[in-house]
Amino acid sequence: MKGPADMCTERVLVIGGGPAGLSAAQAVSDLGVDVTLVERRSFLGGTPIAENYASLTPFCQPAEEVVGSMVERLKSSERVEVVLDSEVSAFEGEPGAFVARVATPSGERELHCGSVILATGFQHFDPGRETQMYGYYEYPDVIALQDLEAMLKAGRVARPSNGEPPKRVCFVQCVGSRDRQIGNEYCSKVCCGVASKEAIEVREHLPDCEVFIFYIDMRMYGYWENQIYWPAQERHHIQYVKGIISEVLQKGDKLLVRGEDTTMGRPMETLMDMVVLSVGMEPSPGTRAMARVLGVAQNKYGFIESAHPPLDTVSTSRPGVFAAGAALGPADLEDCASGGGAAAARAVSAIRALAAAG
Amino acid sequence: MPSTTAPHRKRDDAAGYADVPYAEKQRLFELVKADPRYPDYLYGCYECGICVAVCPSARFYDFSPRRIAQAAAREDAELFYQQFQEDIWECSQCFSCLRCPRGNNPGGIITIMREVAINEGMASAKEALEGYSRIIYKIMSTGTQVSPDMLQPDAFPDWGPEVKDVSVNLDLWRRALPPETHHTTTTGWAVAERTLIELYLIWLETGALSMIKEVDAGLHMILEEVMEERLEEEGIEL
Amino acid sequence: MSADPVNVLLTKKRKFEREPDGRSIDFHERVFELEQAGEWTVHRVPEDHIEVETKYGNVKKIPRGHLWHHKSCGQCGHIPGYSTSIFWIMRKLGYDYEDPRDQTSCTAWNYYASATSNPAAQAAVALRNFAAAYETGFYPLIHCGTSYGHYKEVRSELLRHPDLRDEVRKVLAKLGKAMVMPEEIVHYSEWLHALRDEIAAVQVRDFSQIAVTVHPACHYYKLVEGDAIYDPDIYGGQRTAVVTGIAQALGADVRSYSTWFDCCGFGFRHILVQRDFTRSFATMRKIEVMKEEADPDVVLTHDTGCVTALDKSQFAARAHGHNVGVPVMSEAQFAALAMGAHPFKVCQLHWHSANYRPLLEKMGIDWQQAWAEFQQQLDKLENGGQQFVTWADVDA
Repeated sequence: MKGPADMCTERVLVIGGGPAGLSAAQAVSDLGVDVTLVERRSFLGGTPIAENYASLTPFCQPAEEVVGSMVERLKSSERVEVVLDSEVSAFEGEPGAFVARVATPSGERELHCGSVILATGFQHFDPGRETQMYGYYEYPDVIALQDLEAMLKAGRVARPSNGEPPKRVCFVQCVGSRDRQIGNEYCSKVCCGVASKEAIEVREHLPDCEVFIFYIDMRMYGYWENQIYWPAQERHHIQYVKGIISEVLQKGDKLLVRGEDTTMGRPMETLMDMVVLSVGMEPSPGTRAMARVLGVAQNKYGFIESAHPPLDTVSTSRPGVFAAGAALGPADLEDCASGGGAAAARAVSAIRALAAAG
Repeated sequence: MPSTTAPHRKRDDAAGYADVPYAEKQRLFELVKADPRYPDYLYGCYECGICVAVCPSARFYDFSPRRIAQAAAREDAELFYQQFQEDIWECSQCFSCLRCPRGNNPGGIITIMREVAINEGMASAKEALEGYSRIIYKIMSTGTQVSPDMLQPDAFPDWGPEVKDVSVNLDLWRRALPPETHHTTTTGWAVAERTLIELYLIWLETGALSMIKEVDAGLHMILEEVMEERLEEEGIEL
Repeated sequence: MSADPVNVLLTKKRKFEREPDGRSIDFHERVFELEQAGEWTVHRVPEDHIEVETKYGNVKKIPRGHLWHHKSCGQCGHIPGYSTSIFWIMRKLGYDYEDPRDQTSCTAWNYYASATSNPAAQAAVALRNFAAAYETGFYPLIHCGTSYGHYKEVRSELLRHPDLRDEVRKVLAKLGKAMVMPEEIVHYSEWLHALRDEIAAVQVRDFSQIAVTVHPACHYYKLVEGDAIYDPDIYGGQRTAVVTGIAQALGADVRSYSTWFDCCGFGFRHILVQRDFTRSFATMRKIEVMKEEADPDVVLTHDTGCVTALDKSQFAARAHGHNVGVPVMSEAQFAALAMGAHPFKVCQLHWHSANYRPLLEKMGIDWQQAWAEFQQQLDKLENGGQQFVTWADVDA
C-alpha cells in the first residue's frame, strides 16, 4: 500500500514458503511491515514438508510439527498475506517501488512492494548424474536420503525390492557434491548430519540392523560433533568407515558395494540390503527461474550469488532484492532461520530509509 | 644405519635397489612435476579411496593409486622415489582411476613417471622391460605392434594348444584370411613402405627413439641403424 | 502426501532424465574453433550418418559408409576373425570402405605399456593416420578399443596444449602431411551399435536361446568418458550402450553380473611379461563371476585386449580347477554369425582358445561340416589352386 512518500511501497515480497521464507516473512511482520508471501506449491513448509521429512537435525524433532508451527504462527500474524499455487512471472522497478506480476489460479495480479526476499530453496541432486556407479535407477534397494526420510515418517523402513526389513544398511556420503567432474565442487553441508540422524533413527527402528556410513570426511561442525556424531558411534554403534563407495551392483538378492578399506589400503567389497545415497543440494528450478525473472546474479553453481560475503549474507546483485536460505547455497535449518531474519531486517530498513529520505 | 630422511626404512639397502641422495630424489620428482601433462593429472587428493576401490592392480599387488596421488601432492620425494622403483610398473593402465572426483589421473601420473624412469635409465625400468624388447622392436621397426609369428607355444604355453596350431599352420592360415592386407606373418597387416618411413621420422624427430637408449642400448643401436639407413635410401635428411 | 513412500520412490526411479551440466560442454566447438584459427583441417563426418547420444547428452555422428579401417595390431595379428568379421559385415550391408596399407598401429603399447614414447610422438602417429585417411577421402573407423581411447586422450591433449600442436605440426610438415583432426573419433562398436537394426534385419540365425554376458572395455568408456555412447533405453542410460545394444537387437539374452565395471586384467605389459596378474584377474574377477551369476553361452566384448585376456586366460586356469570354460569373442564376430557368416572362413574361431563348439551348436551351426569346408579351402591354397582366400570365396 502506497504511503504519502509514494516513491516507496511499505510492503515486502517474500518468494518461497519454506523455512527461510517463513522465517523472513515472520520477521518482517514482527517488525511492523506488511508482507506478501508467494509460494508455488499449494501448501507452505517447503522441501521438508513436500518430501515428507521425518525429523530435523540435530534434535530429531518431527519436521511436520516444527515447520507446521512456523506456518501456523505466520498465518495468524497481522500484516501477512499468503498466496499459494502462484509464481512470479515478471518483475521491474526500483528499490522502494518494485512491481511484480504474479500468476495465480484466479488470474494474473500486479503486486507492488518496496523490497523482495528470495527464499526459493534447493533441490536434491539426482543420483543418475553421479560420477560413481551407484545404480539408483537400476536397483530398487538403492535410495536417497529423502526417500528414507519418507519411510521413517511413515513409520516403516523396508527394502523396496521385497518389503522385508533390512539387516545391513549403508549410507554413501557426498553424492553429487565435492566433485570436480560433476561441477558441484562445494560441500552440501548438511548430509553428514542428516545421514547420521537417519542412521540413528534406523538403528532405533530396527535394533538388529547393522548400519554403516562410508565417507570422505565427516562434516560435524560445531555442536553436531557431540549432539550427533558421538552418540551415533557410542550409543547407537553406527559404523563409520573412511573410504567412499565407488560402485553398487546386484549380487543375488543383495547389493554389492565396493570401496577401499583405508586401514589396509586395499579394495574391499561387502554386501548390503539397502544403500542410502547422501545426495547434495543444488539450486531448485524456482531459484533458477527467479534469478532470471528478477535479474539477479547467480554463482557458477546456479545458486543466488551472495553480493558481499562474508559479513553480509543476504544481499544480492540487485539493490532491494535480498535472499535467504538454500537459494544461496547449501544451508541447514539454523541458516534458514537466521538468514530469514537478517534478510527481513535489511528488507525493512531499506524501505524505511527510502521512506525517510522521501 | 637408519636413514634420517626415510625413517620407515631400517636399512638403506633393504629395498633391493640402490639408494640415492635426497637431492637426486627431489630432482626426479621435479622432472615429473615439470611435465606439461602434470597439472591436468594432479589437483588435490582428499583420500576418498575411489581410485583404490576400482583399481585392478590394487587387488593383486601392494599397489595404491591413492598413494601415488598423495606422494605427488605432498611432494614426498622419498616415497615418490620408492614408487619409481617398486610401484609404477604394476599399474595396468586401465584408467579406471579416472573416476576420481577431484579430477586426478593417477594412471597418468604413472605414465609420466615411467617415461622419466626410462629416460633416466633406472634399473627398475630396465628390469620391468626385460623380455619386452621384442615388442618395442616390432612396433618401432615394422609399424604394427603384434604379429602372428609371435604366437609361438614356447612364448605362450599357458594360452592353450591353439597357439601351437597357429604356429604350425601359420603361413597357410594367414593366406586363408579374406582381407588382402592380412596375408602377412611378420606384421599384423601389410604396411606400405612410405608409411614405415614416416613412422621412423616420427620416432626420430620426437625423441621417442632416444628414450630406448638408456633402457636397451643394443636395441637402440639396431633400431637407429635400421631407421637411418632406410631414410638415407629415400634421401631424407634429419 | 499419504502415498506409500516405497511406491513414490519406485515411480520416481522408473526413468532417468539427465539435466545438462558442465560436462555437457561440447568439445566439437573447440575442434572447429581451431580449424577457424587455421591450426588444422577438420575431417567432417560424411553426410550419410546416424546420430546417437553420448553420456552427457551430446550428439555424436556415426558415418555409415565410405570408411577407412584403422586396424588393430592384436586383432589382425592374433584374432584375425575379429577384423575379418568387421569387413564382412560392412560388405554384407553394402557399404564401401578402404582397407589401407598406409596405416600404422596407434602405438599405444609404446606409450602405456613400456613408456617408450611421449605425447608428441603419440599425437604425431595419430595425426599421421588421420591425414592418411583424409587423403583417401574415406572416414577413419577405429578397430581397437585402446586405439580409440588413446586417440580421444590425444585429442584432449591437443585441444588443451598449443605447444603440443606446434610440435606435432613441425613433425608432420617433415612428413609432408597436413594437420587433420576428424570431427568424431568413431569406434567400430559404435558403428555396429548405430546400425544394429539394419544388421538385425538381415539376421538369419536365431539367437533367442543364447545367453550373453557383456564385458565393456575400460578404454572405450573410462578414457574421456563423455565421448561414449549411452542410451536411455539401455541400462537406463547408466552404463554404456555399445555391445549390449546389438546383442539385444539380435535377440540374445543379455545377463548382468556383479563385476560388470571391472577391468579384464589385460594390463598391456602384464599380458606378456606378468601373466599371472592378467590370468588371475580375467579368471577370478570376470569369467568365474560371469559363470556363477549369469551362466552365459558366450562372453562378448569390443576390444582386442579384452578378447585376448578373457579368452587366453582360461586354459591355464582350468588346469588349476577354476570354474572357467566359456567362449569369448567380439560382438562383431557374434553379429557376423547372426548374419550367416562362416565360423571359420570369416569368424576364424580356430584362433580362439576357449571352446566355442557348444555355442556354435546352440546357434544351429554344424561346426564339423563347417570345419571340413574350411579344410577344403585350405587344401586349395596348399595345392596351388589359389594363393590367397579372397572375398569372393566368403562373401556369400
